Amino acid sequence: MDRCCSEMTRRGFLGRAAAVGAAGALTGLVGDTLATRLAFAAPAYTGDTVVVLSLRGGFDGMSVVVPTGDPGYLQARPSIGIGADRLVGRDPSGFFGLHPALAPLVPFWENGQFAAVHAVGQQDPTRSHFAALEEMERAAPGTSLRTGWIDRMLGVRGSSTVWGGVALGGPLAPQALGGPVPDLALESVDGFALDGEGDGGSIAAALRTMYADAPPLVAAPALGTLAAVGTTTAMKAAGYTPANGATYPDTVLGGALRDVARLIKARVGLQVACVDYGDWDMHEGLGTPEAGQWMHDHLTELAQALAAFATDLGPAGMGGVTLLTLSEFGRRVEQNASNGLDHGHANAMLLLGGGVVGGTVYGSWPGLGEADLDDGSLRGTTDYRTVIGEVLQQRCGMGSLAGVFPGVPAQRLGLVTART
Amino acid sequence: MLRAAAKGFRADPTVPGRGRPVPPGRSVTGRPGPDLVSRDPAWHVLRRCTYGPTPDSLAEIRTIGVDAWFARQLAPASIDDSACDRIVARFPRLRMDSATLRAGALEQYSWDVMYELGQATIARAAWSRRQVFEIMVDFWSNHLNVTNPFEGAWDTRHLYDRDVIRRHTFGRFADMLKAAARHPSMLGYLDNQSSTSEHPNENYARELMELHTVGVDAGYTEEEVRAAARLLTGLSIDWDTGLYRYDPEIHATGPVSVLGFTHPNGDPDGEAVAMAFLDHLALHPATARHIAVKLCLRFVADEPPPALVARLATVYLRNRSAIVPVLAELFASPEFRGAAGAKVRRPMQDIVATVRALGLGPDVRGTQGLENLYWMVDGTGDAPMGWHPPNGYPDVAVAWASAAGTLARWNAHLSLAANWWPDSLTRPADLRKYLVPVLPRTYGALVDALALRLGGVTMRPAHTAGITRYLDRTPSSRLYADDDALGWRFPYLVALVLDSPYFSFR
Repeated sequence: MDRCCSEMTRRGFLGRAAAVGAAGALTGLVGDTLATRLAFAAPAYTGDTVVVLSLRGGFDGMSVVVPTGDPGYLQARPSIGIGADRLVGRDPSGFFGLHPALAPLVPFWENGQFAAVHAVGQQDPTRSHFAALEEMERAAPGTSLRTGWIDRMLGVRGSSTVWGGVALGGPLAPQALGGPVPDLALESVDGFALDGEGDGGSIAAALRTMYADAPPLVAAPALGTLAAVGTTTAMKAAGYTPANGATYPDTVLGGALRDVARLIKARVGLQVACVDYGDWDMHEGLGTPEAGQWMHDHLTELAQALAAFATDLGPAGMGGVTLLTLSEFGRRVEQNASNGLDHGHANAMLLLGGGVVGGTVYGSWPGLGEADLDDGSLRGTTDYRTVIGEVLQQRCGMGSLAGVFPGVPAQRLGLVTART
Repeated sequence: MLRAAAKGFRADPTVPGRGRPVPPGRSVTGRPGPDLVSRDPAWHVLRRCTYGPTPDSLAEIRTIGVDAWFARQLAPASIDDSACDRIVARFPRLRMDSATLRAGALEQYSWDVMYELGQATIARAAWSRRQVFEIMVDFWSNHLNVTNPFEGAWDTRHLYDRDVIRRHTFGRFADMLKAAARHPSMLGYLDNQSSTSEHPNENYARELMELHTVGVDAGYTEEEVRAAARLLTGLSIDWDTGLYRYDPEIHATGPVSVLGFTHPNGDPDGEAVAMAFLDHLALHPATARHIAVKLCLRFVADEPPPALVARLATVYLRNRSAIVPVLAELFASPEFRGAAGAKVRRPMQDIVATVRALGLGPDVRGTQGLENLYWMVDGTGDAPMGWHPPNGYPDVAVAWASAAGTLARWNAHLSLAANWWPDSLTRPADLRKYLVPVLPRTYGALVDALALRLGGVTMRPAHTAGITRYLDRTPSSRLYADDDALGWRFPYLVALVLDSPYFSFR
């Protein structure tokens, strides 16, 4: 075990960077301001890092957190429903069970770090991917707000670095980060480097001069890029080995979660990390819970990546992390002719973290009887924003939620303990 | 990114578009920014309506004038594009139909031809002389997006590009819409191929109304989405050949009423009704407005001017969805002519503009350089036709303000200028002489010459000084022919000018 890396502190991180000569490059890249901040300014934020895992495309929560106690479930899904004997990780009542592909997460379910909330929905159900995504990330139905909820959260909390809100795994930030607070989207930490820097002069210094008085439309991304690239250059020089034998899948998702763990350990001031894991739009061929089937294989990658993330951070690290999943909508209760599911409404959310009171499924089950359904879909009984809101208040030191989730119903499910 | 800040940099419609270049350091509107782009109409039009100004295109537009240039571009058959056609001909499989590919020209389910389509698209963007046509191909490819590559279109996606998008790019939108509805790429992408009377699949019907035609705010109900899905059942494929086939056996008959379209729909062969429905949607006023808004987003500003949107929608309807009259109205409008500097380049536009500005050409033979160029663009998240969801790439600055995209663009500038990668494109024998034919006397004059050549304006003095400082000099330092700045450091200098805010606008 590489103790230095597994328990990397700000000082250790900079120490290693200096040892391999990266500090010099850092000064050239980011100038005095950020270098000073990296070296001396402790981040003010002391709450959990919230990892928002977006399961874009319409995640079928019912295939994953299976309501095996509801007879309507297998009736509606004769060829893609999962029999009770196949489920793993039952909740205390036995009503719900987990898809067998979530086996890597069962230890965390059993030790109380992994939980689910079911029948979670948005206030205004729409079945358009884009309208639903936009509304979910704006998270302010009935208002004219144009910003995303994470941007508003960072605005309330304040962030002294570009690392407050980060999207990993792709070059574009989600709409939830849209708004006046600077944010960062990057494919990976190691790949984030300014080519040619230091070959005779500092490109970064010249760019800073040119963008210092440019219109914000182009200056903000440029200056944010310059600040961020200084940090990643130092982190790359320091190297990274996951702790506790954690093995991430060699996929975009695995790489993104590995980098989130790395940024958490490097204490760059990460408050919210956004990671996308899409391809859930299973209109055709969702499949049975066997290898080679779409849902099974897609969940396997998800479970392996999440288990590696929790293993890498270890109990101490996970004590400061809450990961939650979001998807724009769930899917129809009844399967279609293509062994798939069309767009529906309410969904399941997954939560993983040291503060999570796990091993159980939260929420109020609306039932799958004809009269219980919302236009053929699971009825939403819990506003997804109350789930996030509880995490923000209990784990992130957030007071009133009015600025982040205007008009959100006051509700506590008890799904996380208060951070002390 | 600063969403609010975008509002501060709107084009000022009170500024006429026919002005001379504004001297450096002087702002026309009093807002920050306008001196960062040349307001010379030639530069504005070529930045906005092509993949980037070149010395040749600047000479052409100055010779014949902006209006004649647009007239020529809107009649692409009048432009000899044989040189570019020969480049694209290096991808012979793009001319093959599905049957030929399946007969052995392409391994089953291979993505190779889809990647070749992406590479050919970049080649056309870089070297076609029919630049407005290419810009509009990109526009429609995003409007009727079928992601490329998409595994279900392995042997048809290039035909969708040819027979749906390119065939109708300057034609009538109604015809393009109907061609898309009968193309296996679209039917597979949005699942209509497996939508049946017993189990209608709503995916295509919903996106057809929300994205392709009237838009999500047009006021239709979930019931109307379901009715549209039923009406469109039957538009499917032949599962043996993978080609389009109308299948009456799976068509849901029965009366429908959607957005003012009503029909008894009693015949199992519902293809004609489906086409009539598509015509109805294409000619719906909400569709006219939707397309007008998107054209303004593409060519005018991130906040479309409402008066222009209304005018374009009227022209669209009057011409029964013919697109050239709409473009002619747009390009002649004061809103467009006064919008210099109101749009920010997207990564692919930036990289292709770099290729054009530096005088790079295709490989002497083969396609290796083009392939590399494709992956370079792909790495920015902006590969042509590469957006995954059906709504096509966003086309506003805030959507592209990511640090990753910014860094990828900067790295691409240096890589192309220094001939690191791709390293097989043809290029000027001497990049320095190509860009700065006459050796300036000072470092400041060298930066000025490069900035004028690549962007049409000289830089603010502080910026010029920032670049000469990078070269360990001041603007007044004397420049000598054997200085590093004209030798190994020259590509770095070019890259810095391309990295600058001046080159960020389209």
